[in-house]
Amino acid sequence: MKNRLRELRAARRWSQADLADRCQVSRQAINAIETERYDPSLPLAFTIADVFGLAIEEIFHPDRAETTGNPAGH
Amino acid sequence: MRSRSLDFMEGTPYLRRMAKQVQQDQVTRAARRAVLIDGIPVSTLGVIALALGGNPDQSTAQKAWWIATTTAFTIAIAWVLLRAFRRADEYLRRIQLESMAIAFAAVLVGLQVATLLDAAGIIQLHQLAQLILLGGVGIWLLIADLRTRLHR
Repeated sequence: MKNRLRELRAARRWSQADLADRCQVSRQAINAIETERYDPSLPLAFTIADVFGLAIEEIFHPDRAETTGNPAGH
Repeated sequence: MRSRSLDFMEGTPYLRRMAKQVQQDQVTRAARRAVLIDGIPVSTLGVIALALGGNPDQSTAQKAWWIATTTAFTIAIAWVLLRAFRRADEYLRRIQLESMAIAFAAVLVGLQVATLLDAAGIIQLHQLAQLILLGGVGIWLLIADLRTRLHR
């Protein structure tokens, strides 16, 4: 799953630790989500969306090639 | 290229950045310290239980001490596991579970090999059982620590 976490965080000048504090998770969790090594649970995705004041779909995008096996992304 | 521009957007004064870095390191150190505070007494208890069980010709009192220490060690491991899970968020919990799965597999293989060697009369299983369990705990802590350390 793709996400805009790093971009949104940078726009607000928050460090990973700042975002982790706001979401009440570890900095490693934020780092893993940003680098797409870990997909957050739905409750955590909602928390992240609340912290940024956005909808989940504005932050997280499904990786179509990964879910459908279609490298073109259609 | 993209990350460079983002780094630029993220740009903060040097001292502030350094302070953040120190703060992050302190958080990481505090988490590691918590693991060590739990892990060192339990490992020590395991070593003591191991030493008490090492003597094949034990008196009744020695056996009682050995059983008591081993029971305390087992309860302490359960307590450490519970605390580790309560402390962890969902990502760290997943890392802990994966590390435990690997450690569990290692303990199973170790016990199987020790059982075969015991059946062949080469070793005595009861002398190695605690060592194998301790090895499992060690593998679990090592893998969990390395995974969080390598992906900062």
